Amino acid sequence: MSRNVTRRVAVTALASGAVFLIRKAHGQVVWQVNASRCVNSRLGEVGVEACNLCTSSCVVALSAVRAVNEYSKCGRCNICPAYFNIASAVDEKGLPSEKLCPRDAIARKPIGKQDPEDPANNFYEYVIDEEKCDGCGRCVMKCKEPLGLGSITLQVRYNRCLNCNRCAISTDCPKDALEQVPLPEALKPGEARPTV
Amino acid sequence: MSEVRYRQAGSIAGKGGAPHQFSHSITGLALDRNGLVYASGDSEIKVFDAAGKLEKRWTTMRPVLAVAVSRQGLVYAGEEGQIELFDPATRNARVWRDEKMLGRVTAIGFAGDSVLAGDAAARAIRRLDHTGRCLGTIGTDNNVGGLLIPNGVVSFAVDQEGVIHAANPGKHRVERYSLEGRLLGHFGRFNFHDPAGFTGCCNPTNVAVSDRIYVTEKAGPRLKVYSRGGEFEGVIAADCFDPNCRNISVQAGPLGRVWAADAVKLQIFVFEREAA
Repeated sequence: MSRNVTRRVAVTALASGAVFLIRKAHGQVVWQVNASRCVNSRLGEVGVEACNLCTSSCVVALSAVRAVNEYSKCGRCNICPAYFNIASAVDEKGLPSEKLCPRDAIARKPIGKQDPEDPANNFYEYVIDEEKCDGCGRCVMKCKEPLGLGSITLQVRYNRCLNCNRCAISTDCPKDALEQVPLPEALKPGEARPTV
Repeated sequence: MSEVRYRQAGSIAGKGGAPHQFSHSITGLALDRNGLVYASGDSEIKVFDAAGKLEKRWTTMRPVLAVAVSRQGLVYAGEEGQIELFDPATRNARVWRDEKMLGRVTAIGFAGDSVLAGDAAARAIRRLDHTGRCLGTIGTDNNVGGLLIPNGVVSFAVDQEGVIHAANPGKHRVERYSLEGRLLGHFGRFNFHDPAGFTGCCNPTNVAVSDRIYVTEKAGPRLKVYSRGGEFEGVIAADCFDPNCRNISVQAGPLGRVWAADAVKLQIFVFEREAA
């Protein structure tokens, strides 16, 4: 009885492994960043520098990984810690004088009509320019809770990813945050990509 | 300016399964006229004496997000879509249910005959009569139609004159409103380095008023005190809070006593003002 069960479990595991390999051979398996493992977005780690292995390890020029802002989670804050370097000096408008992104890949614009008497009283839309972004993760680290709302995460862009058999980022990532998933289960760009 | 000094006088509750502890959340604090401390969290109201000993506790219908005690001793529990009212004397309970006007009640206060409910779903403060009927909405007369609360909590306190002090974290300030909803003034500004300012995307998150104004912030978490005029007087505590803590409920009592609830450690810290 128990031998039958063991055999059934083993056969099931072998079969699912075979299906995975067949899918992989046909390009139906892709790499994906697991946000709950990525040190830049996982909760509970504060006060550490952003990890930029997705930029430095990827074999694709400028990396296949991008920071993606999920608008349904974004607080649309006036002082966004992912947009501003909030530790920089405050300018005459009361805003931090420096931006956080070293590639100036995040643009911001007020939503709706801005009150000239009170510009702080507004929502702002933050759009990431994927032609500039290299997935360095700085904005992701600053956006995560409790400082932000965790709306920005790192994601593999499949139009850029070469889908290497052994992803160089996954080899280097100390948190095993890069994982292979069947294509139907992978995040689709439209699910998280801003539609401007 | 001489800094006002406080010392930590003790702590209440904590994380765990014991009756005096909370297991998942601690969301609100209140005081009654006898000096008892009411804490809301999980789906319970717990009552502690001044020494921190659990006096009584009871469950709520839904996870409780706020607690307040009226002058008559009636206990109000803010929840999603409703306010539960408990009368400890008669052990009677009733409910004001209004999914639209009481979307997510994260703060409750009293001014005159009115009950005020902070509705985080509407980003506003509802003014209710003694039957729970909505008389008006406070904090929506601006171009974004409400308070800017990326932290998901409306927090306010009412002073003895009936002025409402509401945290508007997205604007990095505390705003004062009349009961009719008129903006009377505000204090605070963004500043990362100066402790007089409010840091991050959105602070202060919570506010309490007595003879002074007390606020809590997130990332990094701290409890600060301002004069009633809005002048910074000092940081009361920072290191005791979990770095991931946000929306630290705060309550101010007489004689410079302050309670602040760490939402990660599920612990209430008690502070006392030291004599000058």
